[in-house]
Amino acid sequence: MKLLIGQILPFITITIFVLGVFYRLGRWVGARIVHNITLSDPWLKSGGEVAVKIGTEAFLFRSLFKFDKALWAGAFIMHFALLNVLGGHIVGFGLLGEQFAYIPGITAEMSKDASNLLGTVFGIVLFVSIAYLLIRRLTIKEVKSIGNSSDVIWLVYLLLIVGVGNIMRLFHQFHIEYEPVRDYIVALFTLQPVVGMELLESPFFLIHFLLVQILLIVFPFSKLMHLFGMFAERWIVNRVYHDPAPGMPNIDVPAARKAGLGLPSGGGGESASEGV
Amino acid sequence: MAEYKGMAQPSRAGEKDMRKIHIEPIPDEQKPEKALEYLDYYRKKFRSFVMAMESCTKCGLCAENCHTYLGTRDPNNIPTNRAELIRKIYRRYFTLEGRWFGNLVGAEDISLDVIEQWYSYFWQCSECRRCAHVCPFGIDTCEVTMAGRQILHWLGITPKLHADVGAAMERVGNHTGLPKPGIIDTLEFMAEECMDEFGIEIEYPVDKPDADIMYVPSSADFLLNPYTLMGAGMFFKYIGANWTIPSTVTEAGNFGLLFDQRYTQRHNVMRLLNAAQDLNVKKIVWGECGHGWRAAKMYVPSLADRPVRWDITHIHDEIAHLIRTKQIKLDPSKITRPVTLHDPCNYVRACGLNDNMRTCIKAAVSNYVEMSPNGADNFCCGGGSGILFDDKQMYQKRIELSWKKAEQVRATGIGKNGDGILCAPCSICKAQLYPMVEEHELGVEVKGLIDLVGMALDWK
Repeated sequence: MKLLIGQILPFITITIFVLGVFYRLGRWVGARIVHNITLSDPWLKSGGEVAVKIGTEAFLFRSLFKFDKALWAGAFIMHFALLNVLGGHIVGFGLLGEQFAYIPGITAEMSKDASNLLGTVFGIVLFVSIAYLLIRRLTIKEVKSIGNSSDVIWLVYLLLIVGVGNIMRLFHQFHIEYEPVRDYIVALFTLQPVVGMELLESPFFLIHFLLVQILLIVFPFSKLMHLFGMFAERWIVNRVYHDPAPGMPNIDVPAARKAGLGLPSGGGGESASEGV
Repeated sequence: MAEYKGMAQPSRAGEKDMRKIHIEPIPDEQKPEKALEYLDYYRKKFRSFVMAMESCTKCGLCAENCHTYLGTRDPNNIPTNRAELIRKIYRRYFTLEGRWFGNLVGAEDISLDVIEQWYSYFWQCSECRRCAHVCPFGIDTCEVTMAGRQILHWLGITPKLHADVGAAMERVGNHTGLPKPGIIDTLEFMAEECMDEFGIEIEYPVDKPDADIMYVPSSADFLLNPYTLMGAGMFFKYIGANWTIPSTVTEAGNFGLLFDQRYTQRHNVMRLLNAAQDLNVKKIVWGECGHGWRAAKMYVPSLADRPVRWDITHIHDEIAHLIRTKQIKLDPSKITRPVTLHDPCNYVRACGLNDNMRTCIKAAVSNYVEMSPNGADNFCCGGGSGILFDDKQMYQKRIELSWKKAEQVRATGIGKNGDGILCAPCSICKAQLYPMVEEHELGVEVKGLIDLVGMALDWK
């Protein structure tokens, strides 16, 4: 079992994840943008404006902020915490918590403390914000009516992963050190003789690691693809558009007004000649 | 049939009507299978549709932002749920998660009931794209409604109103079935009216060869909105334009956009290009029509079967340009009644007319009150995409669909004294709002924007 989860499954997971994502992206690219359905709210006049529009939507959740602050709060905080937690996993394990020591004046010890603190805080924030989104999904009539079972299951599943992760952080006896994890991962992916398999003795680590792998396997075939879908969709509706120039051919308004066009009598030139 | 298992439906075109627009209706027992075939075709072709099927996370933001849902409180009118009517089928047949997990992810088998559901709900959607505008991902649910209506059309299920309009367009070149002699008569009558009412002498050149400008009015302006056409006539006279109205395309609208984006819509585009070539014009200027302007501005380039040689602009663009460059003078003291502007969805979310409309209206009237929300955030009138059905049950729906609009108009306070003007510069908005301002007792009169500009022109 440990062999399966610790040494075989990771390769299957990564293969399915990568191929699956390409499969989905391929489906999207296969269909074309047939008509110009750019949104004019307002027109975007340059690539820079497009980047700002898509960027503020993707990273600040601009529309949510404008139209539903409560949803924005939950969604933005959740994704922001998630981004930090994922980033924390990479730099935390990768640099053993000493990532902040690159900043002048910060010692390795201070960096480790900061890393621990940030990890703990974002872990809790992530858990709470997912719980908030789950409660919202179960209590607001409209949101309840649009969801399927899978929408709820995903949130519960994320709570499980984050919850188990938090247990390893918050309870000293279940704590996992950075170093063995790094050594295990490095060995695994450089195809070296495996080290650190004793990590999987910890039931929490085992569950956390397994759940994440299952998530990555299902990811390409699920709603989690909105990570990429967001950009693919915006690529269709937020494009550069230039209006054709206004101005009609052979128009000379002053001349027309001087001639008194439209005025039946007394207006001037043309109509005066018709007389009364 | 006005109802199917408790769902409201517009009365549908008969087999004869469908054949007039070149569709052979599919027998009921073959419909589910054919629907899947057309859906498969559609998903492989339109990325906008695929993305709407595959990237929604069901956050629910669209619910409170859709006038259809706000007016009916029917869960199937929440934009993502409306899309779900197709998405559940799409998942079942075209995705791995749907094939493997079925119900768990909300997948469902196709059936005649589902198709009838499509007919009910895709014809309650106004295709106003407010959901696309508010969606954090920009998912354009309008594209799903369009796909649904196209598939229904190929199956032979189209509202009679729309099928008849499509047939009229092919027969005479406008939606109302008005033939050329009727067009000329009406225009002569309008010129006389203009003289009687405003003391301005105008004429309407029809099919004038080598005119500089080809003006394409909405055919509803001949019958329901005469002041819009009179306003345009006065405007072109005021600036001394060499212009003409083509008798073969007396229609700014293109109902093809709303129910058949293939033959019907494309045919209208060719008609337009032929007219411009035959009359040898230099520029095409569009009249007041929301969906029609979107069809002309955004779809002509992708539907034309030859290079398009003419710039196409909207008459509001041109008037705003002349106001900004101080070439024309409007006298706002001529219109002192309180005025508010209803932004037609297609103008503000699909065509970028927001600022130009305001330039025109602020120059034309002295007591302008902004509606809230407005511009790209505005709510639809409830008639968008021509769901102007008159059968009893659907008419009742129209009252519900305009509930949000009524609330917005009331909040401006312009109808307090019963003399407000609700400027709605789009033929479908006008057709919807004429009866709806009465139903909701708003104390306002509905007018177009060119109407107001025409009245405010300073001839001195």
